Amino acid sequence: MTDINAAIRQVLEAHGRLGAGFAGLRDDDDLYQKGLSSHASVNVMLGIEDAFGIEIPEALLTRATFRTIDSIRAVVETLGVANE
Amino acid sequence: MVRRRATFRIGLDVQSIEEVQDSIAEFGDLYTQRVYTPHEIESSAGDLLTRASSLAGRFAAKEAVLKVLDFEDRAPPLKSIEIWRDDSRRPTVRLNGLAAELARQQGIDQISLSFSHSGGVAAAAVVAQISPPSFWTRR
Repeated sequence: MTDINAAIRQVLEAHGRLGAGFAGLRDDDDLYQKGLSSHASVNVMLGIEDAFGIEIPEALLTRATFRTIDSIRAVVETLGVANE
Repeated sequence: MVRRRATFRIGLDVQSIEEVQDSIAEFGDLYTQRVYTPHEIESSAGDLLTRASSLAGRFAAKEAVLKVLDFEDRAPPLKSIEIWRDDSRRPTVRLNGLAAELARQQGIDQISLSFSHSGGVAAAAVVAQISPPSFWTRR
């Protein structure tokens, strides 16, 4: 079973450098307010692409895409990944 | 008659060198080729620490440039902001695509750049000059 949100959380934990901001993170929390830097968001993007075997097109590489776990999931789903 | 004066915007950013080093180690070319132009990669050649230090400066510079460009949610791609080293080794900024279009729309016709590296951090400051329209305004 693929739980998209759980996989996104694993990527954020590995590459987001959120520190204390990761604890209790909700799916609709603003990741930038929780401490996600511009550079870390690049690593999150690469981690997401690796985890789901996708390539996020440039048009979707926006701050909005990486603002929340929910918004990342929406983009991942747009690229054909679904919960199983 | 009054002559309208140029105005300026300042952008400043810092980047941990260790974070860049970790990204190179973790993602390799996937990281560098997604963020940096071929010239930036080529001009940052060296051992891992040298590359990370150089690329961290370029990343900070790109972010500093983004801070002088007004945009909504869609930021210009990082590769559309290129940090160029000319023969004199003075770094300059070259804009392409959306970044160039935003600069043109906002009247930014020159961006100056300075780097610094210390304490494991790369810092970059940019000054963008916004020139007035090229005519004299009557009062």
